[in-house]
Amino acid sequence: MTPPEKTKPCPICRKPMVAAFKPFCSDRCRQVDLGRWLTEAYSVPAQPSGEEDDGAV
Amino acid sequence: MSDPSATPGEAGADAYEASSITVLRGLEAVRKRPGMYIGDTDDGSGLHHMAFEIIDNAVDEAQAGFASRVDVRLNGDGSVTVTDDGRGIPVDMHEEEGVSAAEVVLTRLHAGGKFNQNSYKVSGGLHGVGAAVVNALSEWMEVRIWRHGQEHFIRFEHGETVQPLKVVGPSGHMTGTEVTFKPSSGTFTKVEYEFAVLERRLRELAFLNSGLAITVTDTRVVPELRTEFCFTGGLGAFVEWLDKGKEPLFKPPINLTTKETEGIRVELAMWWTSSPRELALCFTNNIPQRDGGTHQAGFRQALTRVVMKYAEDLAKKEKVELIGDDMREGLTAVLSVKVPDPKFSSQTKDKLVSSEVQPVVQMAVADALSHWFETHPKEAKIVLEQVVLSAAARKAAQLAREKVGRKNALDISTLPGKLADCAEKDPAKSELFIVEGDSAGGSAKQGRNRANQAILPLKGKILNVERARLDKMLGSAEIGTLITALGTGIGSGEPARGGFSLEKLRYHHIVIMTDADVDGSHIRALLLTFFYRQMPQLIEAGYLYIAQPPLYRAKRGQEERYLKDDAALEEFLLEKALSNAKLYLPGGMLEGAALDEEVRKLRQISGRIRRISGHVPPEVLEQAALAGALKAQPDLESAQRLAARLDAIAHPAERGWMTTVDAAGIHLHRVVRGVTERLNLSMALLNTPDARWLTEQFPTLERDYATPPRLTFDAVEAAPRGPHAALERILAQGRRGLTVQRFKGLGEMNPDQLWHTTLNPDARTLLQVKIEDVEDAESVFSTLMGDVVEPRREFIVENALKVANLDI
Repeated sequence: MTPPEKTKPCPICRKPMVAAFKPFCSDRCRQVDLGRWLTEAYSVPAQPSGEEDDGAV
Repeated sequence: MSDPSATPGEAGADAYEASSITVLRGLEAVRKRPGMYIGDTDDGSGLHHMAFEIIDNAVDEAQAGFASRVDVRLNGDGSVTVTDDGRGIPVDMHEEEGVSAAEVVLTRLHAGGKFNQNSYKVSGGLHGVGAAVVNALSEWMEVRIWRHGQEHFIRFEHGETVQPLKVVGPSGHMTGTEVTFKPSSGTFTKVEYEFAVLERRLRELAFLNSGLAITVTDTRVVPELRTEFCFTGGLGAFVEWLDKGKEPLFKPPINLTTKETEGIRVELAMWWTSSPRELALCFTNNIPQRDGGTHQAGFRQALTRVVMKYAEDLAKKEKVELIGDDMREGLTAVLSVKVPDPKFSSQTKDKLVSSEVQPVVQMAVADALSHWFETHPKEAKIVLEQVVLSAAARKAAQLAREKVGRKNALDISTLPGKLADCAEKDPAKSELFIVEGDSAGGSAKQGRNRANQAILPLKGKILNVERARLDKMLGSAEIGTLITALGTGIGSGEPARGGFSLEKLRYHHIVIMTDADVDGSHIRALLLTFFYRQMPQLIEAGYLYIAQPPLYRAKRGQEERYLKDDAALEEFLLEKALSNAKLYLPGGMLEGAALDEEVRKLRQISGRIRRISGHVPPEVLEQAALAGALKAQPDLESAQRLAARLDAIAHPAERGWMTTVDAAGIHLHRVVRGVTERLNLSMALLNTPDARWLTEQFPTLERDYATPPRLTFDAVEAAPRGPHAALERILAQGRRGLTVQRFKGLGEMNPDQLWHTTLNPDARTLLQVKIEDVEDAESVFSTLMGDVVEPRREFIVENALKVANLDI
């Protein structure tokens, strides 16, 4: 069903993952990822429902 | 012996004597303070410098284009021999000094060919002290010069001439110089040369002087050690050698060799690797500058300016500002300049201060780099991406310091205000519930066991990305709060300086508790992805869990049941209905365990029918299954059987189903009150695994359900038209008298309900998150969260279910 397991690419730069920095290829990319969390660069689509989220700022 | 009061020019005979005194004074100064001239006399660096001075002179001959090889030999008696095939030191009489030129060069400080730019345009030896200093600090020195077809010989002891230059015979060699010296044990505490140290410097010289052959032989050991270096690849080969075993971002290195500008020549080779460290070596006239200087400054200015220009757009996209450090991450560079009369900050030449070098290097490097970036777009993109990532990483480290509490994690006063902490201090006994939404957080705070359960409410932040699209994310403050509450720190730094440490984790149960809807599953996936990427150790240790809040509450009279999902609800309804049900099949009556067994089959059949009932109602497919009309190769006979069955269950006024079969599948139609109704069992449908499976069941289905069976619940009786209808009827029976409440979110549960269903360790079910689970979720959400906007929408539709069911 799923294709045979390959080494997953680094989520930041798509280079092969390095076990010591899993799931990244390097400390640099892990750091970049942290930066994206801290700069609110990651989001997922929200339900386009009529309900207003009271968390909106 | 020397007389300080003696002054030159007293008498003709004394003139020689007097000038000698001056010379001895100079060399005496060297012997008195050797460190000033040759470096440390105790740690071996000065000793090796002795050899390097002589070697540098030989290399200067090669640089000037007159020598092609340099041989270095470590002799058994502690002396060193350096031989070159250059022009040979001049042997004619020096007019001013009245002795041979060779003797002047080897005994007079500040004498030699290096001041006269006609003999050596550039040289590594500085101010000509080299050879004379080595001589002064040697027990003895012997020099052979092959020049004008003759071999000349001169010998010194402690820098004094003991055998003036004389011709010892015809030369068997072409031309050249051979210097052998034995470092004085009176000056150096350590007089043993290290082969490896010489080897390193000679390799460096061979790289810097493409084509020059350099050998080093250690005859002090048996068998003797010998290494030969000769590189034709120039500085590019040097860079490749420095990074051997590392993967560069591109090959070959960027290479630059300029013609002479204002007497200065610039050579450069560089590339980037993915390693975080920078390695940039700078040389002036073959001498390394540990502390850089004007050539390095010119190089860095050019690098920063050029890369800045090309990386501008990318940096804007990543919202970072670049600084020079970003472009030097992973850089390996060798910069070599040839400068006439260079100036250094010290005798050890660790820093170049000649100011005229900087603009020349900057111009040359800027031109070469710009050209490379223009002509290598593919490689350039890889480099620029790395540069921008380096900047982003730097910025992230700074952000992490700002947003994550840095104080001691055990200090309660620094914990975020939103956290409702528990009394327990032992991490092994403490639990943290990460709850989405303030209302749910409120219920959880009231419902929890304060002794060991902490609650951290997190709010998903809604973001209006475009008019038509809403996005949800975890605000940076939320991420900061989470990290602080966990107490672990973040990133690869030292734990004392805020880096991640699992030992500092304050809870060994971290429970993600989100609503059971799509939004909840997205927030959960965001959190899982965060943990997986930034704290995988925590997942590996088995500390991360997912709460299982119920989706339904079913109530009948006083009895109350919480059910976590649709499947659990169905189970529950069946359980109720089947307690007093009987099913009469042609083979006999079923009840109790036998009926349970049959219902399990019915659920399977019904499930498969519902799965393929896209355009065709399940009631029709059910009849098709009973008629054997779901075969991959449809035939008219079964199609007509299906039409007859449909007629049989239709209202008498709506009968009249007609059928045809062709290559596209089975077509059915009837006319009801003048309107034609059509149904198609397409080949695509007939070829599904579900249709095939149902066809395999045909004999049993026909046997048991061809005629509607009798189904009773105490006094109630029914005659379902097939297996699917039978199941529906049983579920409907189960629903009787039952109030089913569906929780839209955690916030709809009161504190007591939340405790009894989700928080209470004796009643709850927690799913432990396994790293493999998250790997799957992670790749799903890499796409979801990635900045590639377009494939993203499709993806969520396809995978929403997959993600929602992550915990199954």
